[in-house]
Amino acid sequence: MAKEEEATTGRRDLVVEPVIHLIVFKLGSEEYGIRIEQVKEVTITPEITRMPKTPSFIKGVANIRGDIIAIMDLEERFKITPVVEEYDSLKPKKTYTLALEAKDYTIGLIVRDVPQSLSIPVSRIDKAPAFIQDININDNFIEGIGKHEGRLIIVLDIFKILTSEEVQQLKE
Amino acid sequence: MKSREQEYKEIFIAEALEYYDALNRHISELEKDPNNDGLLAEIFRLLHNMKANAKAIGYIQISDLSHKLETAFELIRNKELAFTDETVTVLFDGIDLLGELINNVDNEGYQVADENIIRNLELVVENANEQENGGDKQKELSRSAKYINAKNITLSDLVYIQIKKLDHLLNLVGELIIDRDRILSISKELNHSDLAAVSAHLYRITEDLQYSVMDARLVTIGSLFNKFPRIVRDIAVAEKKDIHLEVSGQDIQIDRNILQIITDSLLHIMRNAISHGIEPADVREKVGKPKVGNITLSAQSDREMVQIKLRDDGKGIDLADVRRGIVQKGFLPADVVKDLRDSEALSYIFEPGFSLAKEITEFSGRGVGLDVVKNAIDSIGGRIRVDSEKGKGTTFTLHLPTSIAVKGALLFEVAENFYAIPLMHTDSVVAFETSELHEIGGLLVAEIKNETITVIYLNEFLNGDPGTMDLGSKSRLKGLVQNIIIVTYNNRKLGLIVDKLFRQQDIVVKPLNKPVDAIEIYGGVTLLGSGKVCLVLDVPAITRYFLTKK
Repeated sequence: MAKEEEATTGRRDLVVEPVIHLIVFKLGSEEYGIRIEQVKEVTITPEITRMPKTPSFIKGVANIRGDIIAIMDLEERFKITPVVEEYDSLKPKKTYTLALEAKDYTIGLIVRDVPQSLSIPVSRIDKAPAFIQDININDNFIEGIGKHEGRLIIVLDIFKILTSEEVQQLKE
Repeated sequence: MKSREQEYKEIFIAEALEYYDALNRHISELEKDPNNDGLLAEIFRLLHNMKANAKAIGYIQISDLSHKLETAFELIRNKELAFTDETVTVLFDGIDLLGELINNVDNEGYQVADENIIRNLELVVENANEQENGGDKQKELSRSAKYINAKNITLSDLVYIQIKKLDHLLNLVGELIIDRDRILSISKELNHSDLAAVSAHLYRITEDLQYSVMDARLVTIGSLFNKFPRIVRDIAVAEKKDIHLEVSGQDIQIDRNILQIITDSLLHIMRNAISHGIEPADVREKVGKPKVGNITLSAQSDREMVQIKLRDDGKGIDLADVRRGIVQKGFLPADVVKDLRDSEALSYIFEPGFSLAKEITEFSGRGVGLDVVKNAIDSIGGRIRVDSEKGKGTTFTLHLPTSIAVKGALLFEVAENFYAIPLMHTDSVVAFETSELHEIGGLLVAEIKNETITVIYLNEFLNGDPGTMDLGSKSRLKGLVQNIIIVTYNNRKLGLIVDKLFRQQDIVVKPLNKPVDAIEIYGGVTLLGSGKVCLVLDVPAITRYFLTKK
């Protein structure tokens, strides 16, 4: 596959490296990315039906093209303080939902701004620093830290966002 | 609805035609490979089955012809008759005639056009026997007109279909109904006459489609019930008991998958009835009952539901034993059990770990309890109840939906969220003044139709902060009048206070997907005509929740 890419884009760049395509979005004040293969679609957040008796980071369920999927708020999940924006009660701000395909189900992630797509060479993604990995809370989901034109992008591994422990927690 | 006889007939014809095709295939192969014993054995088997089936349903001509063919093939198998030119022709003709008979079972005026075929078959057999006996009085075979071979190719009127494909079809219909309701409500909003006409038509067609698909999945309860006489006999022999089984209602139709799911449950209850219900003959005589124990297995259809009853005239369930069991197993303290209504006490036999069996036999009491039965019935949205009188017998009643796809449900609102409860679990809806509710022991209680029923404020239960949740305080209630939906589960009633009642509606329940599928109080979701997602509450889970709380 890398060879093919060289053939098509090699004319411009002398050294071509495999790249990772990411869908990038903001949580709090940081940028996060998810591999594009794991994102099924991006839509304006549909009406969400609250689902009582679930942890607060599960916002509820929504109908996306006939599929009823759970919608999750990663800011609450990671306990990230949302950036306070000027609140205009007349014009409630639109949010977006990324429909993500985990192994055997689809789940929605709410993000505030329009997500963008971005390609980063593999070499520009570092493993998460050791001290972050030591912290139990969110070590597992961070696949690496990408650097792109002065931006820092935290690359998430969606398969691990809902750990088995939390699925257990959901049961109660 | 077709009569059972008609259905049997169609199945017979489909099967017979299949046999006929196989016979043709095998005999053609046999002509090329006359010494193939495997083929011969297969032809023999097919003819034998055909004979038996035809005889059972009363098609004597078919069974006679099959018998004659079978005799001829038996001679060939025993090498008493050579599979040679003349014989081959006679046998081919015979099989052709068989095909014709099968195709004409429904044709009242049908006459066998060429009796010579049957005559020739007989002659072939006679000649072979004659030869065997050393005689040489060979009779000349008559020439049969070859008109049959100018036959048409016909295909069977029945198709076999995998239940998986029907499941898929039913799911698609479910999706279609959701979209139909959506279109209907949009058309009402837009108030456009053409759209209204089209959507009304769409409504009728989808309804027709839904019932057709549901109908295609129906089988008669007899397909399960008819297995019981033999099973009952085997268990009765092992338990050394005399049982008379009476089965009725085999004609009632039910969704094939529902029947599949309840099969084990019914078997379980039947084993219990024979092993623990019916007393040994000597005991029965002592208490003045007939020696032979009676068990009736019956089905009845009741609107959209099917009711299956299994009744035995055995010793019944001793309520005192049950009450003791409830206390012993630690379900409830003794003073509470004392005041329990009989029907409520009896319902504890469905709790996991509750068993009254004192001895383990080959067939019963191996730790698989009635809770497994109950879970199976719950899973298809059915209900089970038990009635028993000590010394007189026990009756289990299963209320089952005829179809899985569409359920009647009651829609309501709590804190601006839509919810539905399947009608199967609703008992009644009442409006009560807040002052008529009483705060007792951390819960609200109401006196409804002479029954004291625990009432729960759903908003507090669903949305209250777990730290400060108070289900026993009227101060949390809004308004002076409360709408209460009474739900029943396992002979126990529970009142649910809702904010707003909407309507009764047929809904298609979709399962919840991971990761929220593990939350017990939801049985699934449904899409309303407005496109809104509506959560379907699982009554068994909610009542269980409050029982463990008690």
